[in-house]
Amino acid sequence: MIITKKALPRRTFLRGMGASLALPLLDAMVPSMTALAKTAADPVRRLGFIYIPMGCDIGRWTPPGEGKLTELSPTLQSLAPVIDQLTVITNLELRNAYPGTHATSNAAFLSAATAKWTESTDYYLGTTVDQVAAKQIGQQTLLPSLELAMDLLQTVGQCDNGYACVYQNNLSWSSPTTPLPAEAHPRIVFERLFGEGGSAADRRAALQRRASLLDWVREDIARLQRQLGPDDRARVGQYLETVREVERRIQKAEADSAENHLPDLDRPIGVPVSYGDHARLMFDLQVLALQGDVTRVITFQLARETSTRTYNEAGVADPHHPLTHHGNNPEKIARMAKINAFHVSLFAYFLEKLKATPEGEGSLLDHTVYLYGSGMGNPNVHDHMNLPILVAGGGAGAVKGGRHIKYAEQTPLANLHLTLLEKAGVRMDAFADSKGKVDELLAL
Amino acid sequence: MFNARRVRVWVGPAALVAAGGLTLTVQAQQRPAVPSSPAAGAPPVINRYCVSCHSERLKTGGLSLEKVVASDVDRNPDVWEKVLRKIRARQMPPIGMPRPDEATYDAAIASLESSLDRAAAAAPNPGRTATLRRLTRTEYQNAIRDLLALEIDVSSLLPADDSSYGFDNVTVGDLSPTLLDRYISAAEKISRVAVGRPGVSPGGDTIRTQPDLTQEEHIEGLPIGTRGGALINYTFPMDGEYEIQIRLTRDRNEHVEGLNEAHDIEVLLDRERVQLFTVKPPQRESGISEDYQPSHATVDQHLKVRVPVSAGSHALGVTFLKNPSALLETARQPYQAHFNSYRHPRIQPAIYSITIIGPYAVKGPGDTPTRRRLFVSRPTNAAEEERSAKRILAALTRRAYRRPVTDVDLQGPLDLYRNARASGDFEAGIEMALSGVLVSPEFLFRVEEDPAGTPPNTVYRISDLQLASRLSFFLWSSIPDDELLDVAAAGKLHEPAVLERQVRRMLADDRSRALVNNFASQWLRLRNLASITPDMRLFPDFDDNLRQAFREETELFVDSILREDRSALDLLRANYTFVNERLAKHYGIPHVYGSRFRRVTLDGDDRRGGLLRQGSILTVTSYATRTSPVIRGKWILDNLLGVPPPPPLPDVPALKDNTVDGNLTVRKRLAEHRTNATCAACHNLMDPIGLSLEKFDAVGRRRTVEEGTPIDVSGALPDGSHFTDVDGLEHALLGRPELFVGAFAEKLLTYALGRGVETYDAPAIRTIVRESRAQDYRVSSILLGIVKSTPFQMRKSR
Repeated sequence: MIITKKALPRRTFLRGMGASLALPLLDAMVPSMTALAKTAADPVRRLGFIYIPMGCDIGRWTPPGEGKLTELSPTLQSLAPVIDQLTVITNLELRNAYPGTHATSNAAFLSAATAKWTESTDYYLGTTVDQVAAKQIGQQTLLPSLELAMDLLQTVGQCDNGYACVYQNNLSWSSPTTPLPAEAHPRIVFERLFGEGGSAADRRAALQRRASLLDWVREDIARLQRQLGPDDRARVGQYLETVREVERRIQKAEADSAENHLPDLDRPIGVPVSYGDHARLMFDLQVLALQGDVTRVITFQLARETSTRTYNEAGVADPHHPLTHHGNNPEKIARMAKINAFHVSLFAYFLEKLKATPEGEGSLLDHTVYLYGSGMGNPNVHDHMNLPILVAGGGAGAVKGGRHIKYAEQTPLANLHLTLLEKAGVRMDAFADSKGKVDELLAL
Repeated sequence: MFNARRVRVWVGPAALVAAGGLTLTVQAQQRPAVPSSPAAGAPPVINRYCVSCHSERLKTGGLSLEKVVASDVDRNPDVWEKVLRKIRARQMPPIGMPRPDEATYDAAIASLESSLDRAAAAAPNPGRTATLRRLTRTEYQNAIRDLLALEIDVSSLLPADDSSYGFDNVTVGDLSPTLLDRYISAAEKISRVAVGRPGVSPGGDTIRTQPDLTQEEHIEGLPIGTRGGALINYTFPMDGEYEIQIRLTRDRNEHVEGLNEAHDIEVLLDRERVQLFTVKPPQRESGISEDYQPSHATVDQHLKVRVPVSAGSHALGVTFLKNPSALLETARQPYQAHFNSYRHPRIQPAIYSITIIGPYAVKGPGDTPTRRRLFVSRPTNAAEEERSAKRILAALTRRAYRRPVTDVDLQGPLDLYRNARASGDFEAGIEMALSGVLVSPEFLFRVEEDPAGTPPNTVYRISDLQLASRLSFFLWSSIPDDELLDVAAAGKLHEPAVLERQVRRMLADDRSRALVNNFASQWLRLRNLASITPDMRLFPDFDDNLRQAFREETELFVDSILREDRSALDLLRANYTFVNERLAKHYGIPHVYGSRFRRVTLDGDDRRGGLLRQGSILTVTSYATRTSPVIRGKWILDNLLGVPPPPPLPDVPALKDNTVDGNLTVRKRLAEHRTNATCAACHNLMDPIGLSLEKFDAVGRRRTVEEGTPIDVSGALPDGSHFTDVDGLEHALLGRPELFVGAFAEKLLTYALGRGVETYDAPAIRTIVRESRAQDYRVSSILLGIVKSTPFQMRKSR
């Protein structure tokens, strides 16, 4: 265990059990961050994606009625404070997630692609929607995208038979062969967003050191590339792309450090013990990242597929995965629905925080769009239709909420991805198996 | 020959040096001179027992053998290897269909195997490992340890690796921006600590105890007469003063748990007391209601001390002195576990976190093993600096890159040194160069490239240096040491006698613990223990102490098999295990006292020992609320028998009408589930195995009844053998040792190569099993078998 950087927080980012202490920090940051807030004429467009594993009890999820969203379902109750920025979409499906497995549920969620059935290094999926967006709207920020997760522990042998764990663990793929590892450790996320602190001069010196290390890595990789055969040369070519991307980030950070002096930030020190506190802290970090315009694209896996986590804090002692194979036992379904509602309540906490954070003419929530949902529908039978999906946020006026869009027939989830890309200013004709757009979101 | 036309054996410089090398190679080289052996056809029993279902017309299970049996076995090795796997496990022909007797089975297997092995010996196919493989984070941590004599907590530096085929060293070809970013940060942090240079300001680290750690009793490694607390091995970056802060656990009302009287807390550095604190409950003010609980906000505020510490690794202990009065109270408690403020509260206070901040009043980098390892040369004047730097970097890069280095290799690191030297001092230059070495692809990646000029699809022997790395990463999960590198650089490592000597030396070395805590912890799924929390209402006596004891038991057990070079079969049949008091109580073993683990020999009905009777494995194959015969059955098929059930069916939605009554016993529920033919196809294999272990509950305790009903532990293996209870299962597994040893060897080979085992590896596996049989399957014979095998020693060019 070695930590040699900045002093342990005088004002602890996270002390004891509660995570609510991030708020004073937010306040402390606002003055320096507002310089980056864009005017209404040039809204910052941001996209976020939250994954929940193993579907839900769709009966308790789906709001009654159609069209205007006036009443929320039991599972979605906690979202009431942001109902006017909420759109629930019913009857979306992921055809390419079949055969019904956990690995493909996670993998197809943002790619809408079929995961190649392999446990070897030849895994192949598709570029995910967040990464398509990041290539367009992520280039002006320090991090083109931020990938977050909640599972810190490494487990083995819990992935679906025949599928490499990369499918189950990674939501974001920057190419069909490049999964992006997600981070679950709050301090490491913090350091990626804001560096390790110190004075402006310290930070500049640190960036220059990194830049020269990177120069050397590039040379060394290029040297290696020349020694290899054509196939391996291509792989090393990807490494060089990676080097260029990290270089871009360092240059961006250097430019930023010149014009934008970061306040003294306190780093979170550890990982909260309770799942809820940990998740809220990860959401706090997203608020910071968006508010500081460090990134505009975020993915967050709230739990992994096949997770056997127990949610005692939500009053459920059963492990999640076996509970989802409820065999239509009503008591088990009710307990599973408690977990579903608990996950939603964490998201609601985040949305309220975004709403409470002023930006430009409105709030941070007004300039952000988040998709929340699962790649599995009914977990008892592992299907991928009638998925639990909702969209929240204003997208700088591009999305208006308070709607329940209910399709008569199963409609590709990719239609929504395509629509969200358009909302975020990325125009494409199609995405994966899309057959159109979610016109109702566009028409508003 | 399935690929004889494509595969040419290439006799390159490496192979020439290898004169008198392994038999396999020699055979391969001589192949053109050996008259081709008469082609062997499929044994006639196949026609009799298999083809009626596996015909062109029926193609049961998607397989037709009708045409395949008509040609020579070696023309369809992929098909026959699959057939062999099924008939070796007696899974085919299915129970209920006409089946041959054992002798006929054995004869058919022997005939098929010898045809396939002959073909493989004539034209070995070692497969192809990936050219570029990133170190896993475990390997990275070990490499830093061996390179710099520095222990790091890699989980705070690098993201976890994804696993495939059950191991985390398979899908390691990628390098994402996040990862590169993290590698750079890790290199900088490690280099700064290694050189011992101050950061911008003092740093800090907080270590949390596990929330479900019971702290009422003695914890191993801390002094006798103490209870609870934690022992931390911590690397202090410099000579200086460090502040140590302690916080106590609190309940939801922010009250310190168990604080009813005064307690003494001791802070120890390398087992020497450096401070003694006393904590007391807050004073009650007179005249205030008895129900009023005064605030505990400040009771642990004074628990901080600044102590001088020398740079390097030290054992920091924080613990309570045992209060004699506490014994009485403990005796009344029914449970061992005390951490949950509602169900079984802490009786006495516990340590919540330990924070180390520093260094203050810095004295200097100190004299650490790390600095001694790094600074192999120290300049006495400015003129010597460049030469010193070169010497330091030459020694460093040779180990880091796992090969002899040239001036060209030193150019980059030296440039980094010079740039940093220009704006700092000599050590700043070395720090920067070290960072550079640690982010070099030559350190971060294992590169196995085809020798220049190798024609495509050619089988070649890997170089001695590549072999050295394969060996060290296999046996140590780390880089080669100097001796191994020297032998490899001298071109001698591939010589069988030299190779065997090195393997034995490496196995005797402490670093081979990696086979336990990296290989076995993945193979046996021990890694998952950390994420398992049995339901607190149903298993109130489960705590982190027990979780740790589970892991410790199995690790010590596997380690004993390895160190004593026992038969691999002892993994299943040993009559001894390792327990401490906590675990012994859990198992119901009397007369074991104290936190220390010791070996106990157990016989009789309730004996422990053998993997299938260990709490670790029985718990990782259970759910939080109950046992899962399905998971246990699948675990055994996957990991002990090497016949994993087929992958999930593409038409799972067909299970929609699955509504089994949840009130039945597990056995009945599973039986009902299997009446659905789709489910039965796989569950008929898994369930009966797992059901035989039902007399172990979800945390591995013996039981005879479940909710008032006596437990039925009759079970069966896919071969149709029936038995009861764990004894029966073990007996049945030991009855076909070649299956278990074969599965064990396959797992080892997967891990050793970092790729999935393919059908063309089957002859190599058979060779390993066959040759180790003569030595009663001693672990060393299996490990040596892996090392000597074609896929470990050779590679096929692109």
